[in-house]
Amino acid sequence: MNNYLDLSIKEIHELLVAKKITPVDLVEECYTRIGENSDLNSFITLNKTEAIEYARKLAEEEVEVDNLLWGIPIAIKDNISTKNIRTTCASKMLENYVPIYDATVIEKVKAAKMIIIGKTNMDEFAMGSASRTSYFGAPKNPVDKTKITGGSSGGSASCVAGNLVPIALGSDTGGSIRQPASYTGIVGMKPTYGRVSRYGLIAYGSSLDQIGPMTRNVYENALLLNTLVGKDKKDLTSVEREKEDFTRLIGKNIDGMKIAIPEFFVSSIVSPIIIEKLNHVVEILKENGATVEYVDMKYLDQVVTIYQIITMGEASSNLARFDGVKFGYRAENSESVEDMYANTRYEGFGTEVKRRIMVGSYLLSGENAKIYYDKALMIRNALKQEFNKFFEKYDFVFGPTTTTVAYGLDENLDDPRKSFMDDTLVMPVNMAGLPGINIPMGKDSDNMPIGLHIIGAHFEEARMYQIASFLENKLK
Amino acid sequence: MNDYKTTIGIEVHCELKTNSKMFSDSINNYGGVANVNINEVDFALPGTLPCMNEYGIELGLKAALALNCEINKKVVFDRKNYFYPDLPKGYQITQARNPIGVNGYVEIEVDGVKKKIGIHDIHIEEDTCKSTHAETKSYLDFNRNGVPLIEIVSEPDMSNEKEAMAYLEKLRELLLYTNVSDCKMEEGSMRCDVNVSVSKTDKLGTRTETKNIGSISSVGRAILAEAKRQIEELEAGREILEETRRFDEKKDCTILMRVKETGNDYRYFPEPNLPPYTLEDSFINRVKENMEVLPDVRRKTYLDAGIHPVNVEKIIANKEISDYLLGLNCNLVIASNLLLGEISAYLNKTEKKLEETKLSKEKFTVLVNKLDSKEINNQIFKEIVDTLMETEEDINKLVENQKANALSETDLTNIVEKLILENPESVEDYKQGKDRAIKYLMGQIMKETRGKADPALANQLLLQKLSEQ
Repeated sequence: MNNYLDLSIKEIHELLVAKKITPVDLVEECYTRIGENSDLNSFITLNKTEAIEYARKLAEEEVEVDNLLWGIPIAIKDNISTKNIRTTCASKMLENYVPIYDATVIEKVKAAKMIIIGKTNMDEFAMGSASRTSYFGAPKNPVDKTKITGGSSGGSASCVAGNLVPIALGSDTGGSIRQPASYTGIVGMKPTYGRVSRYGLIAYGSSLDQIGPMTRNVYENALLLNTLVGKDKKDLTSVEREKEDFTRLIGKNIDGMKIAIPEFFVSSIVSPIIIEKLNHVVEILKENGATVEYVDMKYLDQVVTIYQIITMGEASSNLARFDGVKFGYRAENSESVEDMYANTRYEGFGTEVKRRIMVGSYLLSGENAKIYYDKALMIRNALKQEFNKFFEKYDFVFGPTTTTVAYGLDENLDDPRKSFMDDTLVMPVNMAGLPGINIPMGKDSDNMPIGLHIIGAHFEEARMYQIASFLENKLK
Repeated sequence: MNDYKTTIGIEVHCELKTNSKMFSDSINNYGGVANVNINEVDFALPGTLPCMNEYGIELGLKAALALNCEINKKVVFDRKNYFYPDLPKGYQITQARNPIGVNGYVEIEVDGVKKKIGIHDIHIEEDTCKSTHAETKSYLDFNRNGVPLIEIVSEPDMSNEKEAMAYLEKLRELLLYTNVSDCKMEEGSMRCDVNVSVSKTDKLGTRTETKNIGSISSVGRAILAEAKRQIEELEAGREILEETRRFDEKKDCTILMRVKETGNDYRYFPEPNLPPYTLEDSFINRVKENMEVLPDVRRKTYLDAGIHPVNVEKIIANKEISDYLLGLNCNLVIASNLLLGEISAYLNKTEKKLEETKLSKEKFTVLVNKLDSKEINNQIFKEIVDTLMETEEDINKLVENQKANALSETDLTNIVEKLILENPESVEDYKQGKDRAIKYLMGQIMKETRGKADPALANQLLLQKLSEQ
C-alpha cells in the first residue's frame, strides 16, 4: 500500500509530473480504500470501470504542469447529473435513472481532467441534515462510525474525511455542505449564490441551492472552486464575474480585519464546548491584529421558519416532474393516470420527501401563498439587507457551524423538526445568497470535530480563504 | 325567449413565430415527425433549467402594443402547478401575476357599428406536449412542448356571435400583420376558448367555457348553440353550472366535458430560475418604431386614395399585396386593380409569390404611371404583363415595342368602317334597338384585329360610326 492519498494535492501533482506515479495508482488506491471502508456507506454508485479506463488513458498523456487537479480523483454528490453514470438523489424514485447529459460543473470537472470515482450518498433529494433519509441507508462518520455524518452532503463529507477520495462536490441549500463538513472535520464552502452554475443540480430549493467544494484543507478547497465558477448561459441565475484565483490571498496576514459575531450565534442554543472553541479562535484573531465585536443582528432567530416555507414551497413544485410518465420509477397496475401519479409518488418517495412536498403544497395553496411564501420572501430580503448593513462595517461574520457535535446515528429519529434545527446557524447564509465556509476549529472530549463558520460578503470568497487558511494554520 | 342577453368573453392562445422555444434552445417547429425538436430541458430531465427566448418577449410586447395595452415593464414569470401527462415539469411557466400587457382594446365593426372590445390582459407562456390517444395508450409529442405562446384574455364585452367573430378576425389580422403569429386555427397555432353566459338582468349569469373550437365560423355557431342551450335550461327551471364544454361540429351543439371544481388551485409562485428584469424604454420604443403598419391604418390609406371598399377588404385579406402597396407613390386605385386582377391571376397560375417575380416596386410604379397618364392602355398592359413578371427587360422599351405593334386609332377606324359596310343586317338590328348587334360587331372587330384592339376604344368608335349611319 502506497498511501499516496495521504499526501496533499500539491505533493501528488509533483509525483505525477515527475512520472513517479500515474493517475491509475491514485484511482486504484481510491477503490481499495473505498472497499476497505465500505461500512462507511459513502457511495451510492461507483464509476470504477470507466474511472480506471480514463486514468489509463490519462497515464499516456502529458501531465498538465499548471493544472494541479490533473488526474486527481473526485467524488460527486448524487444529486448532480452525470452523463452515463446513474444519478439517484438517494431516492427509490431515481434508483435506475441514468442521465443523458452532464451538469455544467461536471463538464468543468472533466475539462480539468479530474477523474470521477463515484456518486456519494446523501439525504433523499437533499432533504435532511443527517443523510439518514437516503433510500440506500445512512453514511457513517469516519471519526466515529456510530455517529451521523450530517447532511445532506453526508457521503461527500464521509469519503473526504475518511480520506477515501481527496476532494468532493457537495450541494448546500440550508447548510448541506458546511454542516456535514463540521461534523466530520473537513473544509466545506458554499459559494455566493450565482457563483457556480446550478445547471444539472437536481433542484431542491432553487433560489437557495448552490454547489460547492468539500476538501481536506482550505487551499485545496480554493483550488477546486477555481474550476467550478463562471457564468453559464444555461443558468440565468449564474453571475458574470471577472476571473480570479481563489488561492491568491492564502498566506497573507489578517491584521486590521474586522469580525462581527452575532449574539444569536453564541446564545444558549450552542453547546458550551463549541463556545469555548470559538472563544479560542477569537483570542487568535485578536492576537493577530483583527478586531472582534459581538453584535445584535435581526431576523436570525426566524430563519428556520422562513427556510422551511421557501424550500418546501419550491420543492413541492420542483419535484412535480417525478410523476412516472417520462423517467424514473413508475408504479405498475394503476387504473387511471391519477392513480398512477399517486401510486408512483407514494411508492417512489420516502417519508421525509413526502412530508415536505405536502407541507410545501399547502403553503402555496390559494391564499396561503400570500400569507406564507410572499411574507417569507419579504423577511428574507430584510435579512439580506441586514447582512449588507453589517458588511459595510465588518469584513466577516463569524460563528460556530453547528450547535452540537455529530450525534448518534440512532438519535433524534422521531422529531422531524430536529433536522432543521441542526442547520439554524448556517441557513442565514443561503437566505442572503452569501458565501459561507466551515473549517475545523477543534474537537470535543470524545474527539468529535467542531466547526468554525465564516460568512463573507457577496463574492468575497478569496478573502474568506485568506482568513480561513490563516486560522487553519494557527489551529493546527 | 328574446329578452335574454348573451355575454361573451374569449381567451385566445397564439403561438409565436420564433426560431426556438420559449425556455429552451430547441427548434420551434412541430407537426412533422414526433419528438425530434426536443432536448433535456423540454423533457424536464432532473437538474435542467429554463433559459429565456428574448425574441419571444419582443413578440409578446409587440402583440401587447398592437392591442393598445398598458405595458408591464417588469418581466416576471410564475409557475402554474398542476399534474397532467402533457406537462413534463408538472408546472407551466407563465405570467400569472405580471402579464406583459393589460387594459388594452381592439376596435371591431359589425353592420357598420364600431365597438371597442376590452383586452383584460395578454401574457407570455409555454405550450404543452401534444397528446394523441389510441385505444389503450396515449402518445406524447414533445415537439410542441415549450413553444412560445401568448394568451389574450378579453373582457366579457361581446354580446352576440357576430361581435365575437369580428373580434377574432380582428385579432388574427393584427397578429398576422405584426408577424407575431401565423394564426392558423386549423393547425392549432391559434386556439379559442369561449366563455358564454345569458341573463335577463344586468347581473351576469353563470358562464360556461367551450374549449378549442376549430375555426372562427365555428365559434359563431358554438356561441349560438350554447346560448340557446342555456336559455332552454333556464326556461325549464334548471340551473346553469360552471362547466367546461366542447363544440360538436356535426351536431351543432356543445357537449359537457367536465364540471369545474370550486376554484382551481394552481399554487402560483414566482419562477426562481428566471430572475425578473425590466424592459428598457429604449427597447420598447425600438419595438414601437419598427412596428409594421397596422391594418386599420392601411384601410384608411386605401379608402382615402379612392379604392372601392370591397377592394380594400380584398387587399387587407391578402397581406402580400397589402405589403407590396406600402410606400408606393402612384395611383393606388390603378395599382390595386392591377394587383388584384391580372397580377393575382398570374401569381395563381404560376403558383409564385410576388417577391419571386421580377416585378420590382420601381418597375411597377413606372407601369402604373404610364396607365395613369394613358400613355398605355389596359390592352397593352395585358400584352406585356407576363414579360414584366418574368424578365428584367426595360419597361419603356417593352411599351415602345408593343405600341409599334399595336393598332393605331386610324387603322382601327378603318376596320370599324369596313365591318359596318360588310354587315348591313347588323346595322339594321342596331337601329331597331337590338343589343346583340353591338356584341356581334365587337366580336368581328376582335376577330379582324386578332385581339389587338383596345375594347374600350373599339366600342367607342363603333358606336360613333353606327350613329353616323
